Amino acid sequence: MNRKKIIYALLLLLPMLLPLFVDNQYYVHGILCRILIYSILVASLDLVVGYLGDISIGHAGLFAIGAYSVAILTANPKMNMEATMTFMPQIPFLAALAIGVLLAALTGFVLGFPSLRSSGPYLAVTTIACGMIIFTFISEQELLTNGTKGINLSVVTLLGVQLGGNKLVWLVYPPLLAVMWIMRNIGRSYWGRAFEAIKYSPIAAEACGIWRTYFKISAFVISAAIAGLAGGLFAQLDQYIAASTFNLDFSILALIALIFGGLRSTLGNVIGMSLVVLLPDWFTWFKDFRLLVFGILLLLTLFFLPQGVVGLLKSVWQKLGFHKHDHVDIQERTLNLEKLSEKDSSVLFAANTKVQKLDALELDLVRMQFGGLVAVNNLSLKIKSGMIMGLMGPNGSGKSTTVNIITGLYPQTSGSVRVFGQEMNALKPFERARLGVARTFQNLQLFHDMTVLDNVMVGLHMSFKANLVEVMLGLPAVWHEEHEMQVKAYRLLKFVGLEKSAFEKAKNLAYGQARRLEIARALALNPSFLLLDEPAAGLTSGEIEEFNHMIRKVKQQGISVLLIEHHMDMLMEVSEEITVLDFGKKISEGTPDQVQNDPKVISAYLGTSDVAVKPSGSGGVLA
Amino acid sequence: MAEVLQLLISGVAQGMIYALIAFGYNMTFSTSKTINFSLGNLLMTGGVVGLLVYMNTKTGEPNGNSFFVALVAVVIVCSVLGALVYKVAVEPSVKRGSDFAWVLATLAFGIIVKNAVEQLWSTDDFRFSSPLGSEPLRIAGAGIFPQEILIIIVSILIVTAVELFRRKSILGKAIQAVSEDKMTAGLMGINQNFVILFSFMLSTAIAGVAGVLIAPLTFVSATMGTVLGVKAYGAAIIGGLESGFGMLAGGLLLGLSESLTARYISTGYKDTPGFVILILIILFKPSGLFGKKAIKKV
Repeated sequence: MNRKKIIYALLLLLPMLLPLFVDNQYYVHGILCRILIYSILVASLDLVVGYLGDISIGHAGLFAIGAYSVAILTANPKMNMEATMTFMPQIPFLAALAIGVLLAALTGFVLGFPSLRSSGPYLAVTTIACGMIIFTFISEQELLTNGTKGINLSVVTLLGVQLGGNKLVWLVYPPLLAVMWIMRNIGRSYWGRAFEAIKYSPIAAEACGIWRTYFKISAFVISAAIAGLAGGLFAQLDQYIAASTFNLDFSILALIALIFGGLRSTLGNVIGMSLVVLLPDWFTWFKDFRLLVFGILLLLTLFFLPQGVVGLLKSVWQKLGFHKHDHVDIQERTLNLEKLSEKDSSVLFAANTKVQKLDALELDLVRMQFGGLVAVNNLSLKIKSGMIMGLMGPNGSGKSTTVNIITGLYPQTSGSVRVFGQEMNALKPFERARLGVARTFQNLQLFHDMTVLDNVMVGLHMSFKANLVEVMLGLPAVWHEEHEMQVKAYRLLKFVGLEKSAFEKAKNLAYGQARRLEIARALALNPSFLLLDEPAAGLTSGEIEEFNHMIRKVKQQGISVLLIEHHMDMLMEVSEEITVLDFGKKISEGTPDQVQNDPKVISAYLGTSDVAVKPSGSGGVLA
Repeated sequence: MAEVLQLLISGVAQGMIYALIAFGYNMTFSTSKTINFSLGNLLMTGGVVGLLVYMNTKTGEPNGNSFFVALVAVVIVCSVLGALVYKVAVEPSVKRGSDFAWVLATLAFGIIVKNAVEQLWSTDDFRFSSPLGSEPLRIAGAGIFPQEILIIIVSILIVTAVELFRRKSILGKAIQAVSEDKMTAGLMGINQNFVILFSFMLSTAIAGVAGVLIAPLTFVSATMGTVLGVKAYGAAIIGGLESGFGMLAGGLLLGLSESLTARYISTGYKDTPGFVILILIILFKPSGLFGKKAIKKV
């Protein structure tokens, strides 16, 4: 195994030898170096497009910032005699490159904010606008950038070696390797999962304790910094840059390369860009038609190769037997996790073993108004620690709104929410999740393209201790933690009975299984208070039986539960107390027996009637 | 004063072009929640078809065909292309259930159209003479191109006609129904697929007409549509994609900011204020000036 790794590492270093043995500049300098530099740009784009799912059509602008920083800061006045630019400090290349990376990162920071407010086609136009503003700026600011006439540069000398001609490989290949290494590590860590979780369901991601703002902005900053790095290196490719390079088409070309190669694959990034550069070179007849050909290829890739060329290569590799088949791989990994989970005897729900004296939940005169509609009307509610409280009411009575207020999705109009004595009013959903408030969703909010195991791993987000730098460097401690968490996630899957589907995509689960996965993910937060929003909706009676069993198991762990349900019999069976809402108001509360015989409840469900209600006795109208 | 009037008129004319394209975005978005990002390049196709029918490209003079014939040809070609973009790019993306594949697919379609026109026809710029002549009219001392007046009038006519059509005709009501609630519209026996296809064809036909309208003020070339399309999309976002009135407001805001910036600040920077407004809108009112904010139900 280790031998294989060493061979791979040596193979990866081979291109570094090219300048020593190859004199032909066309292929090494002209083509290979271009591919290497552009691949860095594609990798940066992948972070935003592949992981976050935000389409950026403005990365050429970030690339330009890197390129112009290096060009302006290192330009030699003697090589730009007729230039209109006046500021040429001639600082060392590496310092200029660092400044370029920083400036691009700063722009990425600014560009990240619109991404918090919008996504998809809305955000795409913002990135276009940003790219065009940068493009206009560099074309017009002749005193700073020499405008459309461009800037000439001299060859960089590092450690006494002139990195011109084919030796440029030495300058641009190591950064590409570094970027690939960083991207691979991020992709396989809890950072990568957090990005993807935000992509598939921002609401559920926050409910897992992921600080969306922080992660989105970080992704944009990292991506922009890498794009800036690519740009800085690009300035050295032809030792000449001009504004016209960095236009909208260039952004689109990078995007095309990304899709060709395949999203979220460092190898794919390089392959995609290689195709974009090489195809017109090999097939000279279509040089003029290259955008047309790329457009058609892009359509074909989108529809027939959703995983890009890398996905195609992988399946060919598997057919030829060079690569383990997915199902073999999954079997091995499941078996491995099963073994490890049997050995692991650590406590799954650590914080809940001690008895809490405070009330799990205390709502005080909570009111929620949407315009003129009062969805929740001065609701007061107490749940004792360790108790299962049922919340019922007809459709539109404000049950889900109550859950959304407790978890911080809706800001209540007035009133206060306390969980274990702590005031929640000012806290964001992710902060509440961090304090031990976990929830499931009435409309399933799974991360549908991630595996079942990974869904639970997102729930474990807050348990990860490694910081971003450690993650990017891929330190052994990071992988150790990752494996530990995999075992923990697997044990949680066993708790809800889903361990056999650990490596299945969440979207392939049956409905009842998906409901259970939501609970496993919520339990992964190690919550002290769990809100279940209609968890049995659409389940068969057999599944409901299992569900009751599971909820009791949850209670045994000392977790307080608020259960919202339509299934009356289920609610009556598992809850210790029930609160009934109608039109946002509490109309009844008490033990299941008391509630089901309350005339107000009966009239809310069945309408006011003259039917005589028996004052006592089990088996009232609702049972 | 005369100068301000002149700037206002040309800003409004430019803005109306944006509004027409934005209207197209609005139309397909309301029926199918997708946006045709190739609309700018289809506008260019409109300009090119108009040029080929109406002008003699060798002499740079009209070739004797009536302007109306050119318009009809543009409408036909562009609606066919609209149907094509839906069938080739949008429908397969939506069928595969991928969230934003249609963004890239329609972009790709636009690239294909543009590159095809460049290679099969020409990469040059061509003059397109206005059917109303190029002599500026003198109104209150201001020189105003008759084409600008034509743009404003025709755009208002198109917008009014489309709005009337949406509100009064049975097909228009079907479009409204599909945009409100696809499922229910389907249950009422409305053929959604046809409605969506129709919305694509109508939007591209309007974009094509916009291409012929703008042609005499600029030049006709394969590249004329790209930036127009992007800016019109900006206008749509500024106004609020869901609102027909927002399209007009966004287009005018962008058109006026351009003509005023070009005159009083710098021609090079004429697009920048529009883009800055766009970014501010996304930051502070992502649903646009006239869009409604939706409450997400979970």
